[in-house]
Amino acid sequence: MSDARKSSGPVLWVTLLLGLLGVGASYALAGAERFWANWILWFVYLLTISLGALFIVALEHLVGARWSVVLRRVPERLSTMLLMLVPVALVALGAVLVIYPGARPEAAQNKILAGKAFWLSFPFFSSRTVLFLVLWLIGLAVLVRGSLKQDESKDPAFNVRARRFAPLFMAFFAFGVTMVAFDWISGLEPEWYSDIFGVYLFAGSFLSGLAATALAIVYLQRRGRLQGVKRDHLYNVGGFMFAFTVFWSYIAFAQYMLMWYGDMPEEIFWYQERIQGPWLALVGLIVLLNFIIPFFALIPRDVKGDTGRLRWVAGLMLAGHLLDLYWLIFPSLGKGVLLSWPELSFALFFGSAALLWVRRAMEVGQDMPVGDPFLQEGLEFRL
Amino acid sequence: MSEKAFAVLGLFDDADALMAAIPKVREKVSSPVEAYTPYAIHGIEEALGLRRSPLAGMVMVMGFIGAVTALFFQWWMSAVDYPIITGGKAPFSWQAFVPIMFEVTVLFATFTAGLGMLLLLNKLPYFGHPVLHSKAIEGITRDKFALSVEASEGAVDVETARAALLSAGASSVEALPLPATGPSLTAQFILRSILGVVVACGISGLAMYWAIKLFPVLPPMVHMEDQPRLDPQRADDFFRDGHGMQQPVEGTVARGYLPLGVASQDEAAVLVNPLPRTAEVLEKGRAGYTNHCVVCHGPLGNGVPTLTKAYNAKPANLVSQQFRDYPDGKIYWAIVKGKNAMPSYAYDLSEEERWAVVHYVRALQRAQSALPGDLAGAAAGAASGAATKEGGAR
Repeated sequence: MSDARKSSGPVLWVTLLLGLLGVGASYALAGAERFWANWILWFVYLLTISLGALFIVALEHLVGARWSVVLRRVPERLSTMLLMLVPVALVALGAVLVIYPGARPEAAQNKILAGKAFWLSFPFFSSRTVLFLVLWLIGLAVLVRGSLKQDESKDPAFNVRARRFAPLFMAFFAFGVTMVAFDWISGLEPEWYSDIFGVYLFAGSFLSGLAATALAIVYLQRRGRLQGVKRDHLYNVGGFMFAFTVFWSYIAFAQYMLMWYGDMPEEIFWYQERIQGPWLALVGLIVLLNFIIPFFALIPRDVKGDTGRLRWVAGLMLAGHLLDLYWLIFPSLGKGVLLSWPELSFALFFGSAALLWVRRAMEVGQDMPVGDPFLQEGLEFRL
Repeated sequence: MSEKAFAVLGLFDDADALMAAIPKVREKVSSPVEAYTPYAIHGIEEALGLRRSPLAGMVMVMGFIGAVTALFFQWWMSAVDYPIITGGKAPFSWQAFVPIMFEVTVLFATFTAGLGMLLLLNKLPYFGHPVLHSKAIEGITRDKFALSVEASEGAVDVETARAALLSAGASSVEALPLPATGPSLTAQFILRSILGVVVACGISGLAMYWAIKLFPVLPPMVHMEDQPRLDPQRADDFFRDGHGMQQPVEGTVARGYLPLGVASQDEAAVLVNPLPRTAEVLEKGRAGYTNHCVVCHGPLGNGVPTLTKAYNAKPANLVSQQFRDYPDGKIYWAIVKGKNAMPSYAYDLSEEERWAVVHYVRALQRAQSALPGDLAGAAAGAASGAATKEGGAR
C-alpha cells in the first residue's frame, strides 16, 4: 500500500506537465480572458487555503491555545504554499490590464469607475498586492520559520515573540484577505460593492484552511506519523469545521438577503448574473458542499473526532470552496459556464503543483513542534 | 450485619484520578456508581455505564419542528391569510423567512436542551437529595471530584463500598444516612402541577368560548359598534327603498363645484379671472403648476416635459403665440374639462387654485418673451421677483 502511495509522485509530475501544456495551449487557443480567469481562480484558491492555514497558526499564538500545539506543524507546513504562490501572484498581475475593467483605459468613460480610478489603477492595484504578499511573507518568516528553528534551539523566547507578533499579523491578514476579495474578485465587476465581501472570503479561507489541515492530519496519521494525536484533538478540529461551516453560510446568506431585499440596481445585478440558468444549479451544489452536507455530517458528537468522517467532509469543503470561487469569478466574464479542457488543464496543473508542494512540505522539520515548551501540555490534552 | 447507608461518597483530587477509579469501583460493587464533579468531564458517561443521553436527538427533532413551524406560520400569514405585497416581493418569499426560521429553530432547540436537561432528564429540582447534606458537597462544588456508590433500592453496604473506594484511590470516604422521608418537591410533582394548570386553563377557556357562543345572553363587549344610525353602503329599512344612503336631490351642487355656465371652450372666453395678481396668488399658482402641470408642460411652460416620452403625447407649448393670445377663460376651461390627451384637473385643483394657475401661466408666457422695460424691474431687486412677474403678466 505504501509503495503504491509513493509511486503517486511520478504520476503527479506527469499530470503537472500535461496540465502545463494545456495551460499554455489555453492562452493561445481559448483566449486571454479565459486564461486569466482560470489563473485568478487557482491563485485565489491556493492563496486562501495557505492564508487560512497561516491564520490557524497565528490564532493559536494569539489566544495561547495549548491543545493545538500538537497539530501546529501541519498548518505551518501548509502555509509554506505562500512561497509557491509568489510567482503565481506576480504572473497574475498580468491579468489586471486584461480582465479588470477598472484598470483598463475604457474606465475613464464610465462615471462610476472614473470615481474609483486611482484605487483601481494598475500601479496602485499591483502595489497593494505586492505589499500584502510581503507582509504575509513576514508573517510566514516570523511564525513558521521561527517555529521550525525552535525545533533545534528549544528556545522558549519564540513563543513570546510569536504571541506578540500574532495580533499584528491578524491585522495584515484581515486587511489582506479583504484586499484579495475586493481587488481580485469583486474587482472583476468594480461597479458592484459589498462591505461584507471580505468577511465572506475570510470565512471560505478559514474553512478551507481547516479542511486542508484536517486532510493533512489524516494523511500523516495513515502513515503512522503524528503519534500522540488523540481523538480529542481531532474532535476540536471537527468542531471548528462544524462551527465555521455555519459561519460561512451565515455570512453568505446575510450578504444575499440584504441585496435581495434592497433590490437596488447597482447591487442586485451581481446576483442576477449568478443565479440564472446553470449558475443556480451551481449555487445549490456550493451550498450543499459547503454547508448542508458538512453541517449534518458533523452534528453527532462521536464523528467529530473520526478520521474517516473528517477526511471526506474536508474533501467536500475544499471542493466547495473551489466551486464557490469559480462561481464568484467566472460569471463576470459573461460567457456562461465555461468548463472544458482549459479548466481541466488548470486543475491538473495547479492541483498537481499544490499536491507536490504539500507532499514536500510535509517532510519539513519535525512532525510536531518538539521545541515548544507547551507541547507536553498539548499531548496531555483531554476534552 | 454491617452498616447500611443511602450512599457512600469517595473524594478524589482531580478528574484523572476519578476517571481511573471508576472502573475499579464498578468492578467491586454491585450498586450503581454515580459521580459528582464541579464541571462536565467528557467520556464519563461511558465510564459510568450510563445510557446515552437522548437529549441530542430531542434537540434535533425540536429544532426541525421549530424551523418548520416558523416556515408554516410565515407562509400562512404572508401568503394565505393576509397577503400584502411588500417591496415588490412575492407573498411567499423564502429569503425573508430564513432569519425567523433560524431564530425559532434556535429557540426551540435551546429551550429543549435547557429545560429537557433540567426537568425531564435530570429530574430537577430535587431539593431533598442526601448528597446536598454531605460534608463533601463544599468540595464537590469547588475543586473535588466525588464517586458515590448509591442505592437504587434499599441501601448500600458501607464496608464493601468504603473498601472499594479506598482501594481505588479515594482520599476520604463519607457514608450518607438514609433520608428520613422522600423528597417532597420533585420534578414529577412540579411537572404535574404545571400540567394541571395548563389543562385547567384550557378547559375553562374553551368552556367560556362555547358558553358565549351558544348562549348569547349578553354581548361580552359592546364598544361603540351598535348605534342607531344610518351607515353608508349598508341596507337600512329607514327609507322606503331599503338603502341607508340616498341619492342627492336633483340639481344639488357640491361645495366648490359650481357649474361654469358655459358650454364650450370658445364660450368660456367670456369668463373673467376673479383673483388679483398678487405675489401670494402667483405663489399659489406656482405650487399648483409644479404639482400637476409641470410633468407635461415643463417647468418653463414650453411643452418640454420632465416626464420624458412616457406617454408619447405632445403637450401644448403654453408660451407659444397661440396660447399667449388665449383669453384667461379658455385656459381655465382646459384645466376644468381637459383638452385632447390632457385629462380634467377639476378634482386636483380647487376653483381658486385653477385661477391662480392661470395667472402663473401668464407669468411664464411673459417670462419667455420679456419686454425691454422688464429688465429695469428685474434689476430693481431680485427679492421682488414675484412683483416683476405680476407687473408683466399681461
